[in-house]
Amino acid sequence: MHCAHLSQGQLDLLRSNAGLLYRIKESQNASKMKGSDNQEKLVYQIIEDAGNKGIWSRDIRYKSNLPLTEINKILKNLESKKLIKAVKSVAASKKKVYMLYNLQPDRSVTGGAWYSDQDFESEFVEVLNQQCFKFLQSKAEAARESKQNPMIQRNSSFASSHEVWKYICELGISKVELSMEDIETILNTLIYDGKVEMTIIAAKEGTVGSVDGQMKLYRAVSPLIQPTGLVRTPCGLCPVFDDCHEGGEISPSNCIYMTEWLEF
Amino acid sequence: MTQAEIKLCSLLLQEHFGEIVEKIGTYLIRTGPQPLRMIVNETGLVLDQVKKALCVLIQHNLVTYQLQKRGFVEYEAQCKRVLRILRYPRYIYTAKTLYSDTGELIVEELLLNGKMTMSAVVRKVADRLTETMEDGKTMDYADVSNTFVRLADTHFVQRCPLVPETPQSPDAPPPPAPTLVINEKDMYVVPRLNLVGKGKRRRSCDEEEEGEPKAKKQKQEGESSEPPPDDGIYWQVNIDRFHQHFRDQGIVSAVANRMDQTSSEIVRTMLRMSEVTTSSGASYTQPLSSNEIFRSLPAGYNIVKQVLDQYLTLLADDPLEFVGKSGDSGGGMYTVNLHKALASLATATLESIVEERFGSRCARIFRLLLRKKHLEQKQVEDFAMIPAKEAKEMLYKMLSENFVSLQDRRQR
Repeated sequence: MHCAHLSQGQLDLLRSNAGLLYRIKESQNASKMKGSDNQEKLVYQIIEDAGNKGIWSRDIRYKSNLPLTEINKILKNLESKKLIKAVKSVAASKKKVYMLYNLQPDRSVTGGAWYSDQDFESEFVEVLNQQCFKFLQSKAEAARESKQNPMIQRNSSFASSHEVWKYICELGISKVELSMEDIETILNTLIYDGKVEMTIIAAKEGTVGSVDGQMKLYRAVSPLIQPTGLVRTPCGLCPVFDDCHEGGEISPSNCIYMTEWLEF
Repeated sequence: MTQAEIKLCSLLLQEHFGEIVEKIGTYLIRTGPQPLRMIVNETGLVLDQVKKALCVLIQHNLVTYQLQKRGFVEYEAQCKRVLRILRYPRYIYTAKTLYSDTGELIVEELLLNGKMTMSAVVRKVADRLTETMEDGKTMDYADVSNTFVRLADTHFVQRCPLVPETPQSPDAPPPPAPTLVINEKDMYVVPRLNLVGKGKRRRSCDEEEEGEPKAKKQKQEGESSEPPPDDGIYWQVNIDRFHQHFRDQGIVSAVANRMDQTSSEIVRTMLRMSEVTTSSGASYTQPLSSNEIFRSLPAGYNIVKQVLDQYLTLLADDPLEFVGKSGDSGGGMYTVNLHKALASLATATLESIVEERFGSRCARIFRLLLRKKHLEQKQVEDFAMIPAKEAKEMLYKMLSENFVSLQDRRQR
């Protein structure tokens, strides 16, 4: 009797410790699953369980113990019935994860605010990077020009990640909603650019912008040194540096860049 | 020693001392410590030439000698010291900035001659300065002496090691080579000389010089045939002290760039106070109290004690960590973290090279890797927010030029 209901797509097939379990399906999908065999239902179940994070076809195979060829056939079938969809995972561009058709893919799959259709929005990131830096730069300048005592000057040159986030939101340059953490990842790239430094201070619970009793403060900084001596000579930037030696085809005495540079 | 370094040493020796010295110097650099015999045999030069060349090299601290246990003397080239010849113009220029033309010429004469007595230096420099002065004006020996004393006090010039005064055993024959020694406390002591005189221009005798009676002139000429009052006391340039000065300059300018002029002047003051009390390899300067620092600030600096304390607190709190607080007495005890400062400057130099050579994107990845130590390809892309393709290209470029390396860590 079960088989009849299963084959009519009215029941869900589930596995438990006790054995197989049956559950009445929602009628909408039940009608769609009508005519599907058990294997298809199993695959569908596995995909549904993966929620909005999706699941790779290889993992479907492990969970169902079905051969790959079968699975691919089933997946094609389910896709054509618009029960599931394939979403390119930002983790590995060649891999696809499968999830139920109507689900909104999780951030970890789509890449979040920085991805649009699996394409990394590098221009957008660049613009945010520049805007954040400009904001911090003008804050530091204002602090310097205020000519207050040095303590106040230093403190007012910092901005919390919350402040920067607010500024960027108000600028309205983002179509996507950005979180404070998103802004912090942008600010981190400024740290790696050597343009910004960060300090963490303790903050009372409830202070605007604090997370777990801490607040991150950022400040625009100037580089420690001028470009170093070696790279201000032609040799420092020369692509054939390793091939250059006196008496060779490329040598200091016949180097046109060296000659030019020495004629200052 | 790399081939390039050896070649450079040869060129320097040739340019400054000529072919014979170059030949012997290069031979020693290539083969290591050798006795006199070997040098003569291997270079094919005459014994006399070899001896003279070795004298020149030893005079300039480019070669040292050592009495071996078996009784013969070995000569060793000091390659690093030869390379320092490249810095002579910089040492001379530094002396000029600190002690003006007089200081400049004193250091130049000492570098050109290797070792000299103070009286010889003073006479030579006074003559050279007089040449450049207006007609009728001459440089007084006293002025030159004063500058010399200042250079000695600040350790830019030092006394050379001497033959020890009391021989080890008066009956035993003298050793083949003397072991020269100098007491730490004597190194910068200037002998009490009464150097009286003025610089002379190189002019013919029958030209009159204002205010120079013939009798005095003759007396001066006569003096040159007597042994100088400081005979046997030789001076040389202390190049390590100049290096310490460059280090201090680097630290001060980094503070000026990152913070502001006042902060950098405070650090400069702290370093100046530590010049001769802190050894060159130390990690930190001796602790200085805020009161002492306040008293030592340069004359023109008008900041009140309270403001100085604020700046010191800011310096100690700054992420740079160039200055540290080591106690609370005397208004607060502060040190300069020399090793930390040098490490930061070295890092900044590396980052600057990557930035100029490969571009700002690569520089971002480089700084990221410096902080995080090890990262996978994907993590680099995520943290640096650079698209995968570009990140791969940049990592590969830096990998191919050995700025980054790959480590295989198989996942279990």
